[in-house]
Amino acid sequence: METIINKTVLYAYFSGTVTPVQKKMIETWLAEADNQAQYYQWLHEWELTHLQTAPDWQPAFARTAARLNSPFGVIQPDEEPTRKNWFWRGGNAWLVAASLALLLGGWLFVDEIRYENVQTGFGETRALTLPDGSTLTLNANSSVRFDRFGFGTELPDFLSAIQPSRRVYLTGEADFRVRHLSNHLRFVVITPKGLNITVLGTEFTVLGRARKTQVALRSGKVELTLAQKSEQPPLTMQPGDVVILEPTGQFARRRISNPEAATAWKNHRFTFEKTSLGEIAALIEENYGLRVTIASPELAARTVSGSFPAYNADDMLKLMADLLQINYTRDSDRVLFTD
Amino acid sequence: MNKPELYPIPKQDVDLYSIPRSDHPALIVDNEQFVRAAFAESATQGFEGLFRLYYTPLCSHALRFVYRQEVAEDIVSEVFYQFWKNEGYTSIQHTYRSYLYAAVRHRAYNYLRDELTGSRVLLPLDAAMLTNAEESPQTIIEYDETVQRLEKVIHELPTQCQRVFLMSRFESRKNQEIANELNLSLKTVEAHISRALRQLRRVFFFNLLFGFIATQGMQAGACLFL
Repeated sequence: METIINKTVLYAYFSGTVTPVQKKMIETWLAEADNQAQYYQWLHEWELTHLQTAPDWQPAFARTAARLNSPFGVIQPDEEPTRKNWFWRGGNAWLVAASLALLLGGWLFVDEIRYENVQTGFGETRALTLPDGSTLTLNANSSVRFDRFGFGTELPDFLSAIQPSRRVYLTGEADFRVRHLSNHLRFVVITPKGLNITVLGTEFTVLGRARKTQVALRSGKVELTLAQKSEQPPLTMQPGDVVILEPTGQFARRRISNPEAATAWKNHRFTFEKTSLGEIAALIEENYGLRVTIASPELAARTVSGSFPAYNADDMLKLMADLLQINYTRDSDRVLFTD
Repeated sequence: MNKPELYPIPKQDVDLYSIPRSDHPALIVDNEQFVRAAFAESATQGFEGLFRLYYTPLCSHALRFVYRQEVAEDIVSEVFYQFWKNEGYTSIQHTYRSYLYAAVRHRAYNYLRDELTGSRVLLPLDAAMLTNAEESPQTIIEYDETVQRLEKVIHELPTQCQRVFLMSRFESRKNQEIANELNLSLKTVEAHISRALRQLRRVFFFNLLFGFIATQGMQAGACLFL
């Protein structure tokens, strides 16, 4: 007999909306070790879409690593103000121990201290404000890193060795609204392929993934340079331009009528213009962490146009199946599209 | 670590992203396999991967039991710490995910039960769970039911009582602060909190008393109704 426990039932169960009989069936189903692994995977996915808190993993990682490396088991004090009270109450012995730990931690985790890191999970988007008042929205499965201190501001004299800058390292996709500062400090976005986007105050969307590096500009002006070809003159983009970084290191520029479409993901909409199923599969993999297989090259080449809403991976898969009149099967994180 | 690649993608994947994709069936490595590969490099890299993937959702999940931000984070960090220190990651049979979720739920549940019932039941060593990440189905269901009962109890508290309780517990605010902010007397704040805790205790009382009967007597009960 085929089991009637699937992801939908488990999600309903996590939300507390299953019948007692369904609950009993889940209990029976859980007796299998493999099903427990499946259960935890779905619980994990459910938790990711129902987060109640989003603490940063990096300080926790740094503290745990420091605790393992320290013979005294001293924990590096946190920078959050709520925990400062606890730190000061400990007295002088604590102060000395903590300073030592801080020095050790500071040396081991220079990056963690210097940079703020924000990451989104699969299927999650997040808006954040940078210390200079600029805002950005991160698409799913993306991360940004920027200076915790001195981002866009002058530093105190004794730290004058650190040049104030506005550098953001992006992996994945993000939409930016950059504030122009009175000190005319340039805002630079750096992608993994070495593409630097220099900005003065503007709105644009960057895609910097393994598959594709692309910049779409809505308003204002940005300059593109490649870290590996710094002697080349920068390419200046105009509003409405989309520039794709070719694998050869060349820029390909084209005009689009609707630059807003590049940020449709902020509203859970996806806009396609003769986009092939192959490209959409890559999008599904990046945004939802699924592994997509397409049965034939002909199928992968079929295209879709239009703007559609999709709130999660299942919406997206259903949408593709309906639009192209094809079938798909999903087994946890694997998806197969067939004619 | 000072590299712009924040989300390390295995290098060979770069070529695999080309189209048509049907030539390369498995394009993105399962997250767990990716962590396994990182563990093959070093424990530190493996744990960085585990923290990156699971720390946030685990804290969010632990919070469903303990309703206290720092406690949730401490529980998750402690599970990671023990897992690392005892080298539990070397003997994982199923997935890291199963182990981490099972261990966090186990700890969070026990923490709350001990806090509310005032009992100190000795924790079975986490080490015992290392080789055997399997929980009994009854235990898994009991954890989930507890989460849902807690949610229901807090939800059903009178509005003011609920607000005071969440400020005190979830936001870790001092009673006097809450009293000042909500314009209440300190006595009222304390009364709200103890009322909320009394209700929560009943969740566990209910669990201890009826949890067993409910799971064991389910079939018998269903027969009676039919």
